[in-house]
Amino acid sequence: MQGPLIETLARQGVTRRTFMKFCATLASAMALPPSAGRAMAEAMAAAPAASKRPSVIWLPFQECTGCTESITRSHSPTLEGLIFDVISLDYQETLMAAAGHQAEEALHAAMAANDGKYLLIVDGSIPLGLDGAYSCIAGKSNLETLKEVAKGAAAIVAMGSCAAYGGLPHANPNPTGAVSVSDIIKDKPIINIPGCPPIPTVITGVLAHFLTFGSLPELDKHGRPKAFYGETIHDRCYRRPFYDQGKFAKTFDDQGARNGWCLFELGCKGPVTYNACATVKWNGGTSWPVESGHGCLGCSEPDFWDAGGFYKALSMPADPLKLAAKAAVVGAAAGVAVSFVNRGKKSAAKSAHETTTLADLEK
Amino acid sequence: MNEIQLLTWVRGDGLDYAVGIFLLGVIWRLFEIYSLGRKKDLSASRSVAGASGWHTIFRRSLPPAGMVKKSPVSYIGGYTFHIGLAIVVFLFAPHILLIQSLTGLSWPGLPSQFIDLAAVVTMAAMVVVLADRINKPVKRYLSTFGDWFTWTVTFLPVLTGWMAVQHLLLPYTTMLALHILSVEVLLVVLPFTKLFHAFTLFGSRWYNGTVNGHKGVAV
Amino acid sequence: MPLDAIPVVAVPPGLRAGELSGNAPALLREIAEMVRRLLSEGETSAIDLQALPLTPADLEWLREQLGEGEIAVTLNADGESSLNETACPGVWWVTHRNPKGAVVSEFLEVAFVPELVKAHQDDVVIGLEHLELLISDLS
Repeated sequence: MQGPLIETLARQGVTRRTFMKFCATLASAMALPPSAGRAMAEAMAAAPAASKRPSVIWLPFQECTGCTESITRSHSPTLEGLIFDVISLDYQETLMAAAGHQAEEALHAAMAANDGKYLLIVDGSIPLGLDGAYSCIAGKSNLETLKEVAKGAAAIVAMGSCAAYGGLPHANPNPTGAVSVSDIIKDKPIINIPGCPPIPTVITGVLAHFLTFGSLPELDKHGRPKAFYGETIHDRCYRRPFYDQGKFAKTFDDQGARNGWCLFELGCKGPVTYNACATVKWNGGTSWPVESGHGCLGCSEPDFWDAGGFYKALSMPADPLKLAAKAAVVGAAAGVAVSFVNRGKKSAAKSAHETTTLADLEK
Repeated sequence: MNEIQLLTWVRGDGLDYAVGIFLLGVIWRLFEIYSLGRKKDLSASRSVAGASGWHTIFRRSLPPAGMVKKSPVSYIGGYTFHIGLAIVVFLFAPHILLIQSLTGLSWPGLPSQFIDLAAVVTMAAMVVVLADRINKPVKRYLSTFGDWFTWTVTFLPVLTGWMAVQHLLLPYTTMLALHILSVEVLLVVLPFTKLFHAFTLFGSRWYNGTVNGHKGVAV
Repeated sequence: MPLDAIPVVAVPPGLRAGELSGNAPALLREIAEMVRRLLSEGETSAIDLQALPLTPADLEWLREQLGEGEIAVTLNADGESSLNETACPGVWWVTHRNPKGAVVSEFLEVAFVPELVKAHQDDVVIGLEHLELLISDLS
């Protein structure tokens, strides 16, 4: 295991064993076999010298910068940030020092120098309304920019629920006509890392996988890496035993809530949400929403914003019933009308002295 | 339409339509049936102990002497799946929550492992009852499309619900949406098929008991 | 406000410890198979304990069964890690912790010496350079 990364790390006071320990833990988080940890460590350490580091271009579209916040929070003091020592982040508006024309120059220089080889990360949705006028960078609509930059990308990472599914801008009534990356780009491998925001370890894990194996990890039908999005929050939740026992918190401050019982009745979307929060957790493994006492919002699922209310249990109606009262009145009216018709028939049959046949009884 | 949208639809508009049609149908048919009326029996009533509408309602919940031995599948299988259905439908916590949100009524539920067992037993009983219906020539002769259809729409909600909980075949979200959808199909067809016996059974028993009780026969 | 004044119990005591899931005994057989491979082919292997559906009670049972060996290695690298030999030589219980002391990953490693314990050739070279520097300072 030799290479520039180890040397870079050593200069930062990170030992070889620290790095191997990090890779072992990362492999465990990605549900890879223990041997993959060593393979990862070797591949990443052997990454080529600084001038040839894989180029990464990060395009922000209609977004809130929450995804960038998430990944930057993973830097210190954990080792996740070190992965960035093996990539060359050539364009990231929030983090880069350059601005204006310089920034655009950096983007085009990186695109030209690494044509067909760079990794494109997109966060935010792409507005199509008013010819894309809702969100522009350097006088170009997001749609134009995406098409232009995606052309030379080796692969695209759609970071966060907005880039992956359209996210909050896509929520009903979707005033800007927001769509996801995969709605526009059809000819490039796209990996979705949804979440609002996604878990830092998931972001770095996917990047590590790409750098280590030179390919994208196995994806599910929503284009999400199975290693992190393979199981529901509910199935990995430490409160699951209470669900099975039928012990539920009824409000956020009752005895059940204090006892840490299941939050299903308070609207937890854990059963239909595929993400790794329950195992990887947030803020360096400190906690995660359910552990903090709030149900899962389902932020890594498409259209979670329009899925019938955050505080309504999954088995409850998504909307109040509107037709029930009217239907009951119509039913009663129909019943009364039919009974008048039947009574009319009966008295007609009576006055005509009709006889009952076997066929009548079989009706 | 992705699976979350499907789930939201079945929990929203789909449920709205299904409950609407269900209520419309149930009220319509109850009015229609009970407004038919019967000709007044002018003969003098004969009083016999145990012969009344109320007696019959109770008595017909029990098998007549010797019948369990003669037709064990119909009786034991029938009881098992009806009681099983009641347990699964009314004592599973998420179901109680639905009923509470619709009616305001709630009661304690049972542990999900127990519900799981009840669902398996219910399905097994239903399959046995169906097999018996297919195998016995008389039962098969008496069966119409309505019987096969109502068996299917009753079985599907139990099957899809159980498969959703067990994570079989399809992802939970999709299976849950299909489960709710199958229940909505059941709600829609219930007032217009044999399944309407859920509403009429006690009324018709009472009627039979009263008519026969008037003649002095305990049925 | 002191933390214990907040009347929140995340999980009532007794439940989280849970019961044995029945998965742990199967692990013993797998470990035995791995040790056989180590003896016959010299192949090292590891089990990721966090990837398996084990309850804390299972882990406790496994720890008791495997017992404590003679060697306990502590590694200080971005948090403390312990690499402890069990009573079955060649089977090591490896626990990695972050700087805050929380367990980040846990493995059972079957090897004569765990990979992490061995000094790497390049590091030894650096060590030698350092030694030579020390010696040169002597004169």
